[in-house]
Amino acid sequence: MIELHRVSKVYSVGPVKVPALSDVSFRIAKGEFVVLTGASGAGKTTLLRLLYRDDLPSEGDIEVLGHDLVPLRRTRVAALRRSIGVVFQDAKLLPVRTVYENVAFVLRVLGTPQREITPRVFDALRVVGLSARAQAYPAQLSQGEAQRASLARAIVRRPPLLLVDEPTGNLDDAMEAEIIDVLKDIGGGGTTVVLATHQARLAAALRRRTITLEGGRVVKDEG
Amino acid sequence: MLGFLIGEALRDLRRAGRVAVSAIVLITLSLAALGGFWLVSSNLERAVAKWRERVRIIVYLKREPPAGEAAALVERVQGVPGVAGVLYLSKADALASLKTVLGKDASVVAQLPSNPLPASLEITPAAAAATPEGARALVERLASLPEAEEVAGSADWVERLSQWQRLLTTIGLGIGAVLAIAAFLTVATATTLILHARRRETEIMRLVGATEMTIRLPLLLQGMLQGLLGAVLALAALVATHRVVAPRLAPLVNLTLGLPEIAFLPPLSLAVLLLAGTLLGGLGGWLARAGREA
Repeated sequence: MIELHRVSKVYSVGPVKVPALSDVSFRIAKGEFVVLTGASGAGKTTLLRLLYRDDLPSEGDIEVLGHDLVPLRRTRVAALRRSIGVVFQDAKLLPVRTVYENVAFVLRVLGTPQREITPRVFDALRVVGLSARAQAYPAQLSQGEAQRASLARAIVRRPPLLLVDEPTGNLDDAMEAEIIDVLKDIGGGGTTVVLATHQARLAAALRRRTITLEGGRVVKDEG
Repeated sequence: MLGFLIGEALRDLRRAGRVAVSAIVLITLSLAALGGFWLVSSNLERAVAKWRERVRIIVYLKREPPAGEAAALVERVQGVPGVAGVLYLSKADALASLKTVLGKDASVVAQLPSNPLPASLEITPAAAAATPEGARALVERLASLPEAEEVAGSADWVERLSQWQRLLTTIGLGIGAVLAIAAFLTVATATTLILHARRRETEIMRLVGATEMTIRLPLLLQGMLQGLLGAVLALAALVATHRVVAPRLAPLVNLTLGLPEIAFLPPLSLAVLLLAGTLLGGLGGWLARAGREA
Protein backbone atom coordinates (compact mmCIF):
# COMPACT_ATOMS: atom_id res chain seq x y z
CA MET A 1 0.00 0.00 0.00
CA ILE A 2 2.66 2.54 1.14
CA GLU A 3 6.40 2.06 1.14
CA LEU A 4 9.10 4.65 1.81
CA HIS A 5 12.74 3.78 1.21
CA ARG A 6 15.44 6.13 2.60
CA VAL A 7 13.39 9.24 1.94
CA SER A 8 14.90 12.65 2.64
CA LYS A 9 13.51 16.11 2.01
CA VAL A 10 15.54 19.30 2.15
CA TYR A 11 14.02 22.75 1.63
CA SER A 12 16.23 25.51 0.27
CA VAL A 13 15.67 28.95 1.76
CA GLY A 14 18.03 31.07 -0.29
CA PRO A 15 21.50 29.66 0.35
CA VAL A 16 20.32 27.90 3.52
CA LYS A 17 19.35 24.21 3.36
CA VAL A 18 16.68 23.15 5.84
CA PRO A 19 16.30 19.39 6.29
CA ALA A 20 12.66 18.37 6.86
CA LEU A 21 12.99 14.59 6.58
CA SER A 22 16.11 12.43 6.83
CA ASP A 23 16.46 8.80 5.77
CA VAL A 24 12.87 7.81 6.49
CA SER A 25 11.85 4.22 5.67
CA PHE A 26 8.71 2.30 6.60
CA ARG A 27 5.85 0.27 5.14
CA ILE A 28 2.12 0.53 5.74
CA ALA A 29 -0.08 -2.39 4.80
CA LYS A 30 -3.52 -2.21 3.25
CA GLY A 31 -6.23 -1.46 5.83
CA GLU A 32 -3.76 -0.37 8.51
CA PHE A 33 -4.45 2.63 10.78
CA VAL A 34 -1.17 4.44 11.44
CA VAL A 35 -0.56 7.48 13.61
CA LEU A 36 2.33 9.77 12.70
CA THR A 37 3.30 11.74 15.75
CA GLY A 38 5.98 14.18 16.81
CA ALA A 39 6.38 17.77 17.83
CA SER A 40 5.58 20.65 15.48
CA GLY A 41 8.26 20.80 12.79
CA ALA A 42 9.11 17.10 13.13
CA GLY A 43 8.24 16.50 9.47
CA LYS A 44 4.71 15.00 9.71
CA THR A 45 3.03 17.40 7.26
CA THR A 46 5.97 17.16 4.86
CA LEU A 47 5.64 13.40 4.92
CA LEU A 48 1.90 13.55 4.17
CA ARG A 49 2.52 15.99 1.29
CA LEU A 50 5.00 13.54 -0.20
CA LEU A 51 2.40 10.76 0.06
CA TYR A 52 -0.19 12.58 -2.06
CA ARG A 53 2.53 13.84 -4.38
CA ASP A 54 2.16 17.51 -3.50
CA ASP A 55 5.95 17.57 -3.30
CA LEU A 56 8.87 15.36 -4.29
CA PRO A 57 11.53 13.94 -2.00
CA SER A 58 15.11 15.20 -2.35
CA GLU A 59 16.27 11.59 -2.08
CA GLY A 60 14.76 8.12 -1.79
CA ASP A 61 11.78 6.29 -3.24
CA ILE A 62 8.09 6.34 -2.39
CA GLU A 63 5.47 3.90 -3.53
CA VAL A 64 1.79 4.57 -2.85
CA LEU A 65 -1.08 2.38 -4.07
CA GLY A 66 1.22 0.82 -6.65
CA HIS A 67 2.46 4.17 -8.01
CA ASP A 68 6.18 4.96 -7.90
CA LEU A 69 5.81 8.65 -6.97
CA VAL A 70 9.24 10.05 -7.91
CA PRO A 71 9.09 9.45 -11.65
CA LEU A 72 5.28 9.78 -11.74
CA ARG A 73 4.18 12.00 -14.63
CA ARG A 74 1.96 14.99 -13.97
CA THR A 75 -0.95 13.47 -15.82
CA ARG A 76 -0.76 10.34 -13.61
CA VAL A 77 -0.70 12.41 -10.41
CA ALA A 78 -4.40 13.21 -10.92
CA ALA A 79 -5.13 9.46 -11.20
CA LEU A 80 -3.21 8.79 -7.96
CA ARG A 81 -5.07 11.51 -6.07
CA ARG A 82 -8.43 10.11 -7.09
CA SER A 83 -7.58 7.19 -4.80
CA ILE A 84 -6.53 9.33 -1.83
CA GLY A 85 -8.68 11.37 0.56
CA VAL A 86 -6.95 14.22 2.36
CA VAL A 87 -8.15 16.11 5.45
CA PHE A 88 -6.41 19.25 6.68
CA GLN A 89 -6.38 20.92 10.07
CA ASP A 90 -8.15 24.00 8.66
CA ALA A 91 -10.83 21.90 6.87
CA LYS A 92 -10.48 23.98 3.65
CA LEU A 93 -14.24 24.13 3.02
CA LEU A 94 -15.53 26.40 0.27
CA PRO A 95 -17.27 29.24 2.14
CA VAL A 96 -19.94 30.07 -0.46
CA ARG A 97 -21.19 26.48 -0.73
CA THR A 98 -23.27 24.49 1.72
CA VAL A 99 -21.96 21.34 3.40
CA TYR A 100 -23.86 19.28 0.81
CA GLU A 101 -22.36 21.30 -2.06
CA ASN A 102 -18.86 21.08 -0.60
CA VAL A 103 -19.04 17.30 -0.50
CA ALA A 104 -20.83 17.02 -3.85
CA PHE A 105 -18.26 19.36 -5.46
CA VAL A 106 -15.64 16.61 -5.39
CA LEU A 107 -17.93 14.17 -7.19
CA ARG A 108 -18.96 16.78 -9.76
CA VAL A 109 -15.33 17.65 -10.48
CA LEU A 110 -14.65 14.00 -11.21
CA GLY A 111 -17.65 13.64 -13.50
CA THR A 112 -19.76 11.36 -11.28
CA PRO A 113 -23.24 10.87 -12.80
CA GLN A 114 -25.78 13.24 -11.23
CA ARG A 115 -28.08 10.42 -10.03
CA GLU A 116 -25.25 8.97 -7.92
CA ILE A 117 -24.20 12.21 -6.29
CA THR A 118 -27.00 12.80 -3.78
CA PRO A 119 -27.06 9.26 -2.29
CA ARG A 120 -23.27 9.17 -2.03
CA VAL A 121 -23.08 12.61 -0.41
CA PHE A 122 -25.70 11.64 2.18
CA ASP A 123 -23.90 8.33 2.81
CA ALA A 124 -20.71 10.26 3.58
CA LEU A 125 -22.57 12.78 5.75
CA ARG A 126 -24.21 9.96 7.66
CA VAL A 127 -20.83 8.33 8.35
CA VAL A 128 -19.55 11.59 9.91
CA GLY A 129 -22.91 12.32 11.61
CA LEU A 130 -23.63 15.51 9.72
CA SER A 131 -26.74 14.68 7.67
CA ALA A 132 -28.84 17.23 9.54
CA ARG A 133 -26.41 20.03 8.69
CA ALA A 134 -26.31 19.39 4.93
CA GLN A 135 -27.75 22.80 4.04
CA ALA A 136 -25.58 24.79 6.47
CA TYR A 137 -22.78 27.02 5.22
CA PRO A 138 -19.27 26.61 6.67
CA ALA A 139 -19.60 29.86 8.62
CA GLN A 140 -22.60 28.33 10.46
CA LEU A 141 -20.64 25.23 11.57
CA SER A 142 -18.68 24.62 14.74
CA GLN A 143 -15.02 23.70 14.24
CA GLY A 144 -15.82 20.07 14.96
CA GLU A 145 -18.64 20.08 12.39
CA ALA A 146 -16.41 21.77 9.81
CA GLN A 147 -13.77 19.09 10.37
CA ARG A 148 -16.41 16.35 9.97
CA ALA A 149 -17.63 17.99 6.76
CA SER A 150 -14.04 17.96 5.53
CA LEU A 151 -13.85 14.26 6.42
CA ALA A 152 -17.08 13.59 4.53
CA ARG A 153 -15.59 15.31 1.48
CA ALA A 154 -12.48 13.14 1.76
CA ILE A 155 -14.37 9.82 2.01
CA VAL A 156 -17.24 10.49 -0.40
CA ARG A 157 -15.19 8.96 -3.22
CA ARG A 158 -14.57 5.91 -0.99
CA PRO A 159 -10.79 6.15 -1.42
CA PRO A 160 -8.66 3.21 -0.28
CA LEU A 161 -6.25 5.64 1.45
CA LEU A 162 -7.10 8.51 3.81
CA LEU A 163 -4.47 11.03 4.93
CA VAL A 164 -5.47 13.18 7.90
CA ASP A 165 -3.35 16.10 9.08
CA GLU A 166 -3.91 17.36 12.64
CA PRO A 167 -7.69 16.83 12.56
CA THR A 168 -8.21 17.77 16.19
CA GLY A 169 -5.67 20.56 16.50
CA ASN A 170 -8.22 23.30 17.13
CA LEU A 171 -10.91 21.25 18.87
CA ASP A 172 -12.04 20.90 22.44
CA ASP A 173 -12.10 17.46 24.09
CA ALA A 174 -15.72 16.62 23.15
CA MET A 175 -15.25 17.54 19.50
CA GLU A 176 -11.94 15.68 19.44
CA ALA A 177 -13.66 12.53 20.70
CA GLU A 178 -16.29 12.83 17.94
CA ILE A 179 -13.63 13.05 15.24
CA ILE A 180 -11.64 10.16 16.67
CA ASP A 181 -14.76 7.97 16.73
CA VAL A 182 -15.49 8.80 13.10
CA LEU A 183 -11.89 8.04 12.07
CA LYS A 184 -11.98 4.73 13.90
CA ASP A 185 -15.19 3.83 12.07
CA ILE A 186 -13.63 4.72 8.72
CA GLY A 187 -10.49 2.72 9.53
CA GLY A 188 -12.65 -0.18 10.67
CA GLY A 189 -14.29 -0.24 7.26
CA GLY A 190 -11.04 -1.30 5.57
CA THR A 191 -9.71 2.12 4.54
CA THR A 192 -6.01 2.64 5.15
CA VAL A 193 -5.66 5.70 7.41
CA VAL A 194 -2.52 7.75 8.07
CA LEU A 195 -3.18 10.34 10.76
CA ALA A 196 -0.62 13.00 11.66
CA THR A 197 -0.90 14.64 15.07
CA HIS A 198 1.40 16.45 17.48
CA GLN A 199 -0.85 15.37 20.39
CA ALA A 200 0.84 12.40 22.10
CA ARG A 201 -2.33 11.96 24.20
CA LEU A 202 -4.40 11.44 21.05
CA ALA A 203 -1.90 8.94 19.65
CA ALA A 204 -2.02 7.02 22.88
CA ALA A 205 -5.84 7.09 23.00
CA LEU A 206 -6.10 5.64 19.49
CA ARG A 207 -3.98 2.61 20.44
CA ARG A 208 -2.84 2.00 16.89
CA ARG A 209 0.56 1.60 15.26
CA THR A 210 2.44 4.86 15.96
CA ILE A 211 5.43 6.20 14.03
CA THR A 212 7.21 8.95 15.94
CA LEU A 213 9.22 11.56 14.07
CA GLU A 214 11.84 13.78 15.64
CA GLY A 215 13.83 16.31 13.63
CA GLY A 216 12.72 14.61 10.41
CA ARG A 217 13.84 11.11 11.49
CA VAL A 218 11.82 8.11 12.56
CA VAL A 219 12.75 7.55 16.18
CA LYS A 220 10.07 5.04 17.12
CA ASP A 221 7.73 2.70 15.23
CA GLU A 222 5.58 0.66 17.59
CA GLY A 223 2.16 -0.88 18.07
CA MET B 1 -19.73 17.01 -16.46
CA LEU B 2 -20.65 19.60 -19.09
CA GLY B 3 -23.33 20.96 -16.76
CA PHE B 4 -20.75 21.27 -14.00
CA LEU B 5 -18.27 23.08 -16.27
CA ILE B 6 -20.89 25.55 -17.54
CA GLY B 7 -22.18 26.08 -13.99
CA GLU B 8 -18.65 26.87 -12.79
CA ALA B 9 -18.09 29.22 -15.75
CA LEU B 10 -21.28 31.15 -14.90
CA ARG B 11 -20.28 31.28 -11.26
CA ASP B 12 -16.85 32.62 -12.31
CA LEU B 13 -18.50 35.24 -14.50
CA ARG B 14 -20.56 36.50 -11.55
CA ARG B 15 -17.41 36.61 -9.44
CA ALA B 16 -15.61 38.84 -11.94
CA GLY B 17 -18.45 41.39 -11.53
CA ARG B 18 -17.73 44.85 -12.91
CA VAL B 19 -14.48 43.84 -14.60
CA ALA B 20 -16.38 41.24 -16.61
CA VAL B 21 -18.97 43.89 -17.50
CA SER B 22 -16.15 46.20 -18.66
CA ALA B 23 -14.72 43.41 -20.78
CA ILE B 24 -18.10 42.75 -22.36
CA VAL B 25 -18.58 46.48 -23.10
CA LEU B 26 -15.14 46.69 -24.71
CA ILE B 27 -15.78 43.62 -26.83
CA THR B 28 -19.12 45.16 -27.86
CA LEU B 29 -17.41 48.43 -28.84
CA SER B 30 -14.60 46.75 -30.75
CA LEU B 31 -16.92 44.46 -32.71
CA ALA B 32 -19.48 47.24 -33.31
CA ALA B 33 -16.69 49.46 -34.71
CA LEU B 34 -15.35 46.62 -36.82
CA GLY B 35 -18.84 45.65 -37.99
CA GLY B 36 -19.78 49.28 -38.74
CA PHE B 37 -16.76 49.85 -40.95
CA TRP B 38 -17.29 46.44 -42.53
CA LEU B 39 -20.87 47.38 -43.36
CA VAL B 40 -19.85 50.69 -45.01
CA SER B 41 -16.95 49.02 -46.78
CA SER B 42 -19.08 46.16 -48.13
CA ASN B 43 -21.59 48.65 -49.57
CA LEU B 44 -18.78 50.62 -51.21
CA GLU B 45 -17.48 47.34 -52.60
CA ARG B 46 -20.90 46.70 -54.12
CA ALA B 47 -20.84 50.18 -55.68
CA VAL B 48 -17.35 49.61 -57.08
CA ALA B 49 -18.41 46.29 -58.59
CA LYS B 50 -21.46 47.90 -60.12
CA TRP B 51 -19.48 50.81 -61.57
CA ARG B 52 -16.81 48.49 -62.88
CA GLU B 53 -19.51 46.80 -64.96
CA ARG B 54 -20.37 50.20 -66.42
CA VAL B 55 -16.87 51.12 -67.59
CA ARG B 56 -16.89 51.68 -71.37
CA ILE B 57 -14.14 52.56 -73.84
CA ILE B 58 -15.10 54.33 -77.07
CA VAL B 59 -13.08 53.87 -80.27
CA TYR B 60 -13.84 56.69 -82.72
CA LEU B 61 -13.26 55.55 -86.30
CA LYS B 62 -11.42 57.51 -89.01
CA ARG B 63 -14.19 56.80 -91.47
CA GLU B 64 -17.46 54.96 -91.40
CA PRO B 65 -16.91 51.47 -92.81
CA PRO B 66 -19.09 50.33 -95.68
CA ALA B 67 -22.12 48.32 -94.58
CA GLY B 68 -20.51 44.98 -95.39
CA GLU B 69 -17.25 45.67 -93.47
CA ALA B 70 -18.70 46.81 -90.09
CA ALA B 71 -19.54 43.28 -88.95
CA ALA B 72 -16.03 42.07 -89.84
CA LEU B 73 -14.51 44.99 -87.88
CA VAL B 74 -16.66 44.19 -84.84
CA GLU B 75 -15.60 40.55 -85.05
CA ARG B 76 -11.91 41.54 -85.28
CA VAL B 77 -12.13 43.91 -82.28
CA GLN B 78 -14.00 41.25 -80.31
CA GLY B 79 -10.80 39.19 -80.56
CA VAL B 80 -8.61 41.89 -78.94
CA PRO B 81 -7.49 40.71 -75.45
CA GLY B 82 -9.47 42.40 -72.65
CA VAL B 83 -12.57 43.00 -74.76
CA ALA B 84 -15.78 41.48 -73.43
CA GLY B 85 -18.24 43.11 -75.81
CA VAL B 86 -18.36 45.42 -78.87
CA LEU B 87 -21.23 47.58 -80.04
CA TYR B 88 -20.93 49.31 -83.41
CA LEU B 89 -22.49 52.79 -83.67
CA SER B 90 -22.76 54.20 -87.17
CA LYS B 91 -22.73 57.97 -87.82
CA ALA B 92 -26.51 57.82 -88.04
CA ASP B 93 -26.75 55.93 -84.70
CA ALA B 94 -24.53 58.56 -83.08
CA LEU B 95 -26.72 61.39 -84.41
CA ALA B 96 -29.88 59.65 -83.19
CA SER B 97 -28.29 59.23 -79.78
CA LEU B 98 -27.38 62.93 -79.73
CA LYS B 99 -30.97 63.85 -80.55
CA THR B 100 -32.19 61.71 -77.67
CA VAL B 101 -29.79 63.47 -75.31
CA LEU B 102 -30.80 66.94 -76.55
CA GLY B 103 -34.49 66.14 -76.09
CA LYS B 104 -36.65 69.18 -76.92
CA ASP B 105 -33.63 70.98 -78.36
CA ALA B 106 -33.03 68.18 -80.88
CA SER B 107 -34.19 70.46 -83.71
CA VAL B 108 -30.77 72.21 -83.73
CA VAL B 109 -29.34 69.06 -85.28
CA ALA B 110 -31.45 69.67 -88.37
CA GLN B 111 -29.57 72.92 -88.99
CA LEU B 112 -26.23 71.13 -89.39
CA PRO B 113 -25.03 71.00 -93.00
CA SER B 114 -23.92 67.38 -92.55
CA ASN B 115 -23.58 64.77 -89.78
CA PRO B 116 -20.32 65.71 -87.97
CA LEU B 117 -20.31 62.73 -85.62
CA PRO B 118 -17.91 59.85 -86.32
CA ALA B 119 -18.84 56.22 -86.34
CA SER B 120 -17.58 54.45 -83.21
CA LEU B 121 -17.19 51.18 -81.37
CA GLU B 122 -18.42 50.99 -77.75
CA ILE B 123 -16.17 48.51 -75.97
CA THR B 124 -17.16 46.71 -72.76
CA PRO B 125 -13.90 45.66 -71.07
CA ALA B 126 -13.52 42.20 -69.59
CA ALA B 127 -13.32 42.12 -65.74
CA ALA B 128 -9.50 41.97 -65.82
CA ALA B 129 -9.38 45.07 -68.03
CA ALA B 130 -11.73 47.10 -65.81
CA THR B 131 -8.83 48.20 -63.57
CA PRO B 132 -6.80 51.37 -64.31
CA GLU B 133 -3.81 49.36 -65.59
CA GLY B 134 -6.01 46.96 -67.55
CA ALA B 135 -8.00 49.80 -69.08
CA ARG B 136 -4.83 51.71 -70.07
CA ALA B 137 -3.39 48.59 -71.74
CA LEU B 138 -6.66 48.00 -73.58
CA VAL B 139 -6.77 51.64 -74.76
CA GLU B 140 -3.25 51.23 -76.16
CA ARG B 141 -4.22 48.03 -77.99
CA LEU B 142 -7.35 49.63 -79.43
CA ALA B 143 -5.46 52.79 -80.49
CA SER B 144 -3.18 50.63 -82.62
CA LEU B 145 -6.14 49.56 -84.82
CA PRO B 146 -5.67 51.09 -88.31
CA GLU B 147 -9.33 52.20 -88.28
CA ALA B 148 -9.03 54.04 -84.96
CA GLU B 149 -8.92 57.84 -84.98
CA GLU B 150 -9.12 58.33 -81.22
CA VAL B 151 -9.76 56.14 -78.15
CA ALA B 152 -11.47 57.58 -75.06
CA GLY B 153 -12.26 56.18 -71.59
CA SER B 154 -10.56 54.88 -68.44
CA ALA B 155 -11.33 53.19 -65.12
CA ASP B 156 -9.39 55.65 -62.94
CA TRP B 157 -12.34 57.09 -61.05
CA VAL B 158 -13.70 53.63 -60.27
CA GLU B 159 -10.31 52.78 -58.86
CA ARG B 160 -10.38 55.91 -56.71
CA LEU B 161 -13.69 54.70 -55.26
CA SER B 162 -12.11 51.31 -54.70
CA GLN B 163 -9.19 52.95 -52.86
CA TRP B 164 -11.63 54.75 -50.56
CA GLN B 165 -13.25 51.43 -49.84
CA ARG B 166 -9.88 49.84 -48.97
CA LEU B 167 -8.96 52.82 -46.80
CA LEU B 168 -12.22 52.47 -44.86
CA THR B 169 -11.60 48.75 -44.37
CA THR B 170 -8.10 49.47 -43.06
CA ILE B 171 -9.35 52.16 -40.67
CA GLY B 172 -12.08 49.80 -39.45
CA LEU B 173 -9.59 47.00 -38.89
CA GLY B 174 -7.23 49.41 -37.06
CA ILE B 175 -9.87 50.76 -34.70
CA GLY B 176 -11.30 47.27 -34.20
CA ALA B 177 -7.83 45.86 -33.44
CA VAL B 178 -7.00 48.56 -30.85
CA LEU B 179 -10.33 48.04 -29.10
CA ALA B 180 -9.92 44.26 -29.38
CA ILE B 181 -6.54 44.44 -27.62
CA ALA B 182 -8.13 46.50 -24.83
CA ALA B 183 -10.98 43.98 -24.62
CA PHE B 184 -8.56 41.05 -24.54
CA LEU B 185 -6.57 42.64 -21.69
CA THR B 186 -9.77 43.32 -19.75
CA VAL B 187 -10.94 39.72 -20.15
CA ALA B 188 -7.50 38.58 -18.99
CA THR B 189 -7.76 40.89 -15.95
CA ALA B 190 -11.26 39.62 -15.16
CA THR B 191 -9.98 36.05 -15.39
CA THR B 192 -7.03 36.85 -13.12
CA LEU B 193 -9.50 38.15 -10.51
CA ILE B 194 -11.53 34.96 -10.94
CA LEU B 195 -8.39 32.88 -10.47
CA HIS B 196 -7.72 34.69 -7.22
CA ALA B 197 -11.32 34.25 -6.06
CA ARG B 198 -11.45 30.54 -6.92
CA ARG B 199 -7.98 29.58 -5.72
CA ARG B 200 -9.48 27.39 -2.96
CA GLU B 201 -11.70 25.58 -5.46
CA THR B 202 -8.67 25.05 -7.69
CA GLU B 203 -6.70 23.69 -4.74
CA ILE B 204 -9.50 21.25 -3.88
CA MET B 205 -9.89 20.23 -7.52
CA ARG B 206 -6.19 19.43 -7.80
CA LEU B 207 -6.24 17.63 -4.48
CA VAL B 208 -9.03 15.26 -5.49
CA GLY B 209 -7.45 14.44 -8.83
CA ALA B 210 -9.25 16.66 -11.32
CA THR B 211 -7.53 16.81 -14.67
CA GLU B 212 -5.94 20.11 -15.77
CA MET B 213 -8.56 20.30 -18.51
CA THR B 214 -11.38 20.18 -15.94
CA ILE B 215 -9.69 22.98 -14.01
CA ARG B 216 -9.04 25.11 -17.09
CA LEU B 217 -12.26 24.68 -19.04
CA PRO B 218 -14.46 26.86 -16.80
CA LEU B 219 -11.94 29.71 -17.26
CA LEU B 220 -11.96 29.27 -21.00
CA LEU B 221 -15.77 29.03 -21.04
CA GLN B 222 -16.31 32.18 -18.95
CA GLY B 223 -13.99 34.09 -21.30
CA MET B 224 -15.88 32.74 -24.30
CA LEU B 225 -19.19 33.70 -22.67
CA GLN B 226 -17.94 37.26 -22.18
CA GLY B 227 -16.87 37.37 -25.82
CA LEU B 228 -20.11 35.87 -27.13
CA LEU B 229 -22.22 38.24 -25.05
CA GLY B 230 -20.18 41.22 -26.30
CA ALA B 231 -20.56 40.04 -29.90
CA VAL B 232 -24.33 39.57 -29.57
CA LEU B 233 -24.66 43.09 -28.12
CA ALA B 234 -22.49 44.49 -30.94
CA LEU B 235 -24.69 42.82 -33.55
CA ALA B 236 -27.83 44.12 -31.83
CA ALA B 237 -26.35 47.64 -31.90
CA LEU B 238 -25.47 47.27 -35.60
CA VAL B 239 -28.97 46.02 -36.50
CA ALA B 240 -30.63 48.84 -34.58
CA THR B 241 -28.36 51.49 -36.11
CA HIS B 242 -28.87 50.10 -39.61
CA ARG B 243 -32.65 50.10 -39.21
CA VAL B 244 -32.67 53.72 -38.08
CA VAL B 245 -29.98 55.21 -40.34
CA ALA B 246 -30.17 53.20 -43.59
CA PRO B 247 -33.62 54.41 -44.78
CA ARG B 248 -32.65 58.04 -44.13
CA LEU B 249 -29.39 57.78 -46.07
CA ALA B 250 -30.80 55.68 -48.91
CA PRO B 251 -31.64 58.64 -51.26
CA LEU B 252 -28.15 60.14 -50.81
CA VAL B 253 -26.46 56.78 -51.38
CA ASN B 254 -28.58 56.19 -54.48
CA LEU B 255 -27.63 59.60 -55.88
CA THR B 256 -23.89 59.37 -55.16
CA LEU B 257 -23.09 55.68 -55.45
CA GLY B 258 -26.00 54.39 -57.49
CA LEU B 259 -26.97 51.82 -54.86
CA PRO B 260 -30.72 51.37 -54.29
CA GLU B 261 -30.22 50.84 -50.52
CA ILE B 262 -27.58 50.33 -47.82
CA ALA B 263 -27.39 46.56 -47.44
CA PHE B 264 -26.79 44.97 -44.01
CA LEU B 265 -23.94 42.53 -43.43
CA PRO B 266 -24.52 39.04 -44.89
CA PRO B 267 -25.08 36.08 -42.49
CA LEU B 268 -21.50 34.85 -42.99
CA SER B 269 -20.09 38.19 -41.78
CA LEU B 270 -22.38 38.08 -38.75
CA ALA B 271 -21.15 34.57 -37.97
CA VAL B 272 -17.54 35.78 -38.31
CA LEU B 273 -18.20 38.64 -35.83
CA LEU B 274 -19.80 36.22 -33.34
CA LEU B 275 -16.90 33.83 -33.72
CA ALA B 276 -14.34 36.64 -33.39
CA GLY B 277 -15.93 37.83 -30.13
CA THR B 278 -16.07 34.31 -28.71
CA LEU B 279 -12.45 33.61 -29.64
CA LEU B 280 -11.30 36.97 -28.28
CA GLY B 281 -12.93 36.28 -24.91
CA GLY B 282 -11.73 32.67 -24.85
CA LEU B 283 -8.16 33.74 -25.59
CA GLY B 284 -8.26 36.26 -22.72
CA GLY B 285 -9.56 33.58 -20.34
CA TRP B 286 -7.00 31.03 -21.47
CA LEU B 287 -3.94 33.29 -21.48
CA ALA B 288 -4.69 34.74 -18.05
CA ARG B 289 -4.35 31.18 -16.82
CA ALA B 290 -1.12 30.64 -18.73
CA GLY B 291 0.29 33.87 -17.26
CA ARG B 292 -0.43 32.68 -13.74
CA GLU B 293 1.28 29.37 -14.35
CA ALA B 294 4.36 30.94 -15.91
